[in-house]
Amino acid sequence: MSRDSGIDSAVCPPEVLARIADLELVARIVVEGLVSGLHRSPFHGYSAEFSQYRHYRPGDDLKYVDWKLVARTDRLYTKQFRETTNMAATLVLDTSASMSFPTALSKYRYAMILSAALAHIVSSQGDAVGLVAGSRMIPARAGRHNLRALLAALSGIEASGRWDAAETVRRAAERLNRRGLLLVLSDFYDEEDATFNELKRAARMGHEVVLFQTMSREEVEFPYRRDFEFEDLETGRSVSVNAALARREYTDAIAAFLERCRRRAGAEGFQYSLIVTDTPPAHGLRNFLLARQR
Amino acid sequence: MIWLNPAAWIGLLALAGPIAIHILVQRKAERLPFPSLRFLQQGRLASIRRHVLEDVLLLAIRAAIVAAAVAALAGPLIVTRTQREAWNARLVRAIVVQGADGAQRFQPSDRPFLSQTFETPAVADAIPRAVAWLENAPPARRELVIVGPLALGSVSADDLAAIPPDIGIRFEQSGGLPTERSIAGGRVLALKREFGLERDGFNRAKGSGSIVVQQQVTLRNTHTTVQETGADAPDPFPVEVVCSTDARPIVDVAIAAARSQRVWAPAANRRGRLVLLDSIAPAAVADGAPVRESWVADAIASIVRDRDLQVAGSQTPAGLSDPRLSAPPWQPLLLAPDGRPLAVAGASSASLVVVSGAAASSLVTPLLLRAMVNALGGPPDLRQAEVLPIPDSQLRAWSRPAAPVIAPRVDRVERDDRRGLWILVLVLLALETWIRRARAEEKTATYEEDVRVA
Repeated sequence: MSRDSGIDSAVCPPEVLARIADLELVARIVVEGLVSGLHRSPFHGYSAEFSQYRHYRPGDDLKYVDWKLVARTDRLYTKQFRETTNMAATLVLDTSASMSFPTALSKYRYAMILSAALAHIVSSQGDAVGLVAGSRMIPARAGRHNLRALLAALSGIEASGRWDAAETVRRAAERLNRRGLLLVLSDFYDEEDATFNELKRAARMGHEVVLFQTMSREEVEFPYRRDFEFEDLETGRSVSVNAALARREYTDAIAAFLERCRRRAGAEGFQYSLIVTDTPPAHGLRNFLLARQR
Repeated sequence: MIWLNPAAWIGLLALAGPIAIHILVQRKAERLPFPSLRFLQQGRLASIRRHVLEDVLLLAIRAAIVAAAVAALAGPLIVTRTQREAWNARLVRAIVVQGADGAQRFQPSDRPFLSQTFETPAVADAIPRAVAWLENAPPARRELVIVGPLALGSVSADDLAAIPPDIGIRFEQSGGLPTERSIAGGRVLALKREFGLERDGFNRAKGSGSIVVQQQVTLRNTHTTVQETGADAPDPFPVEVVCSTDARPIVDVAIAAARSQRVWAPAANRRGRLVLLDSIAPAAVADGAPVRESWVADAIASIVRDRDLQVAGSQTPAGLSDPRLSAPPWQPLLLAPDGRPLAVAGASSASLVVVSGAAASSLVTPLLLRAMVNALGGPPDLRQAEVLPIPDSQLRAWSRPAAPVIAPRVDRVERDDRRGLWILVLVLLALETWIRRARAEEKTATYEEDVRVA
């Protein structure tokens, strides 16, 4: 249980999280239950500079006990370090209109919650975190002040229109001064080849690329049965079909698309996670973090 | 199987209704914003029309409802041999009884399925009523029994011709006819000289020399005796002749000639007027009115039937030239050889009006006068006084057995097979309702699911 909110973040349905307006609170709900099960930092790349000794207290990690000092003094001391930031993460968030589906809990809202949680985790480790979403760009910086600015920026962005994925990735990669972490949350419907080319370029620049392909259950399983006039959220084009009859071909096509994205990510060494919006964000995040620890 | 009301099959045109509804009513597709449209195949566009095929079951049931209802209205009747035998085993009888005591005297040996007695003083009047009752009777052999003294003239071949051929006819004589009967006959217009009252020749036989003769008719077996008693009376000639002054002497002679033919004296309220156009200007013709009194119509029909008059008219070269007299309300009585009417009839206030184009000296004029007076008066009906019965040979010729039932009318059958079809209609209606509701619930559930999903 989360101590602050009283909501079990591990099982908290995404619909409930989506109704909480305060994005920082949402991030805390998601992350606090999540981190309690993780004993090691999921993000590597930071270093710590020795600061002082202090008396050992039960629960302290034994690896920080200075055994030489124990031998000299017969007392247990643990070393304390002053953390220094050496990792910068940038969240790249897809703001295209396709992310506004479905209406109840949109992929964009889900990705926003996920981004907030990731930003919270990264920031709580003392690392720098930034954001590129649509026209907004928050440079990667450490500290709570920057986190709050990032979360405020996230809250103010709506998913609409088209999204130049390749350009956004390029911008985000170039703004990271040193080797950093590029966290991309998108459905990857837009300019698939160009986007992956830019991601490859970012990887060649030394950045670690993590992809969260955010999909809704409706997109994956196409549970419709009646006649529908489907209207494209981005182009406005409409197609009238009998959903029951079109379902097989659709699910085959989208499965092939997801598999292609997964294979391309794997081939380039990107960490890839398929996140479906009807699962609690903590689940997807936990799986992602556990995978990183391995 | 026979169809008692086959014209109802035209109702099958109503099948176009459900078919048209299924074809014309298109299911409106819901509009749903969707992000991954590129994975939907254009080839499935036409599939939206497939709902017509999905509703084939419903269409078939609705068409079956219409067809079954039409078939029921068409009156199906499975006529089995047993059914036909049952119908033919029973008899529906209409009994026309002449006289009040005839019904008591008629004691049929068999017991009909249904029977109705029509008491009447005149058999001919009751026959149509009896036939109408038989037409409305349930399926059975039908018989018309005419009971009475069956005097000559009480039933004619024309009366019996109106009876449908499948209705049997039987005659039962009941009550005897008197050997002699004496009744008052008609009144006849005659000349005094015929009775020896004036014997100064034909030329003096004018109005003042006429009398009214009352006839007394005695019927005894095959002999008929007419006794006449004359009475001096003021000139009662019932037809006023409108003519020029010059033609008046000739017209008087024509009236005397007609009177000499012993014409029937009409009642005091039946009068006629003859306008001779040959001797007066056409403007003098009174405007005729449409015939409204039945006795005027009977009189016109009687004049037209006068054979001597028709022969004389056909020998007159030219008819009436005034076109007004060739159009309603004037009715042609005689036609001249040129095709135009020679004499026309109409009505005025409570009298018969005849306009003639024949000359006063023509043979047509006295014949027309005779015909008019006879038509206004008419001979007495002696049928009521007849003492001779219709010969047995004639009755046997008119008699016939009741024909077996062939095709009873749908509304006269006590129980036909349409009941089964109506039950089928109800079952199909229930099935259609059930399927429709199930479809609606399914659609609602799907819609709610889609809404929930969306």
